[in-house]
Amino acid sequence: MLATSVEVLEFSKISLGELMSLSNEAIDALPFGVVGLSREGVTEVYSHTESKLAGIPPESVLGTHFFLSTAQCMNNFMVAQRLDDEAELDTVVDYVLTFRMRPTPIRLRLLKKAEYPRSYLLIQR
Amino acid sequence: MSAETATENELLLQFLYACPVGLVEIEADGAIGMINPLAMQLMVPLMRPPQGMNFFDIMEPYAPELRNLVEEFTALHGEVCSNLRIFISPGTKQSGYLAHVLSCTLVRLAADRFMATLSDVSKVVAQERRLGEAEVWFSSLLDGVSDFAVLSLDAQGLIDGVSASALRQTGFSNEDLLGKTLDVFDSPTPATSAVTVTEQISLACRDGWYLIEGWQKRKDLPADWCQRLIAVRSEEGEEDRTVTGYTVILREVVRQKHDALELKQMLTRDHLTGASNRAHFFEIAGRECSRFVRYGHSLSVVALDIDHFKSVNDTYGHAAGDKVLREVSRRCMVLLRPADTFARVGGEEFMVLLPGTDLRGARLLAERLRSALENMTVSYGNEMITVTGSFGCAEAVPDTSSPAPLMESADRALYNAKQMGRNMVVLAVAGEVPGE
Repeated sequence: MLATSVEVLEFSKISLGELMSLSNEAIDALPFGVVGLSREGVTEVYSHTESKLAGIPPESVLGTHFFLSTAQCMNNFMVAQRLDDEAELDTVVDYVLTFRMRPTPIRLRLLKKAEYPRSYLLIQR
Repeated sequence: MSAETATENELLLQFLYACPVGLVEIEADGAIGMINPLAMQLMVPLMRPPQGMNFFDIMEPYAPELRNLVEEFTALHGEVCSNLRIFISPGTKQSGYLAHVLSCTLVRLAADRFMATLSDVSKVVAQERRLGEAEVWFSSLLDGVSDFAVLSLDAQGLIDGVSASALRQTGFSNEDLLGKTLDVFDSPTPATSAVTVTEQISLACRDGWYLIEGWQKRKDLPADWCQRLIAVRSEEGEEDRTVTGYTVILREVVRQKHDALELKQMLTRDHLTGASNRAHFFEIAGRECSRFVRYGHSLSVVALDIDHFKSVNDTYGHAAGDKVLREVSRRCMVLLRPADTFARVGGEEFMVLLPGTDLRGARLLAERLRSALENMTVSYGNEMITVTGSFGCAEAVPDTSSPAPLMESADRALYNAKQMGRNMVVLAVAGEVPGE
């Protein structure tokens, strides 16, 4: 049963299950960036919000390896390796991105569950 | 903006995104302007709130000298440092015993504009280490050598073989040398800071070789400036290697502007204080841990942090803080033995490696250091600055194959010392295992 109340769609509360079942339009409407990755790290979901905030068109991101092609700044043990190594993950990390080469502090939520084939990164600026 | 300019901008951005080297643009005080993704990838794991986006603050625990190097760089353009090795952490089981090392080059572009490049060179360093060990041996022999003397020592360190060139070079005869120790070449009243022959051999056993430069006594001839290389000969036994003897090579050298000793110091010492640097400490600690696992002699570490150091800097300025760091180092180092290693491992954090010392011995030493700091006054201008230090002691437990857990234990004990009021020595709790 999908609850649609605003609190449930909150950055720190939304569940992986919910993200998997939301429509593309609903994902795009969320106020934070949403990136969905396959187990191999290939970008399967790249929300409209994220695309606008990062300044990158979704076409150039979807189907490529997220941490090698798009988000090199997160390709370390704090983010990329954690998503790889840990079987289950639901954590919020303070991070800094490099939007147009300027330090951009963000909050990052990492979501991974054994029963879902996709992991998610939620990016709140 | 026209469509062409927009596309051009996009291409430029992508070019920068693809750059496999970290790039950071900073001001003279370390404030970060622009930074590329790879630099961020390398730096975010090093950040500790409440640091802001300041390059020197972020690097302070690992390369505190960066700030000093920039401050001392008076030219308006040029290279402040090139491929400076920054040791982030020693090798652990998880990292496959690969130490985490970054390389940093800093260039001044204008009065208040610098560019730093950052790369991860962990693998390169590991490889160099393996190659370097063989190279030191050869380069010291092949370097414009005209004549060198070779001696053999038995496992007890007594001379049991002498080459003709050794007799020629030193003026001694066979009878003068056989059965004696290397002390026969040393002046009867060596400088108080000189490393004794026993210590030289002990250090050779630790590292596989030992190189020293100094005055060498000759028979009926004035003393000579010589390089002495002591190399260990050993045999692979059933359980481990046993030392079967030593080969000593003596080489007369023209005293260069930069002695081998000076060069060694430039690579292993902290720029500001003269203490060992972080890299050298990790290296020595790694070797002592191997010896600890093999031979079982005790091994301890003392972690020391100057109390309220930040307020010294804030009250009296960075130059005064630097003087305090130098004085602290000087006072501590005179209280140690040659086999001990005193290193500056962070901005105001030091570590002492104590081979052959148990926890009780470490505590006694730490108490001596604590007292020395408490009774120390550093004069700066008209000010008399006093500081105290907090100390954490830890002893290596069986199976400590890497220095990381030992250092972490000492650090935790140090943290407790701070929590309990500072200016004290705290021992690590036995059996406490470092958390994740």
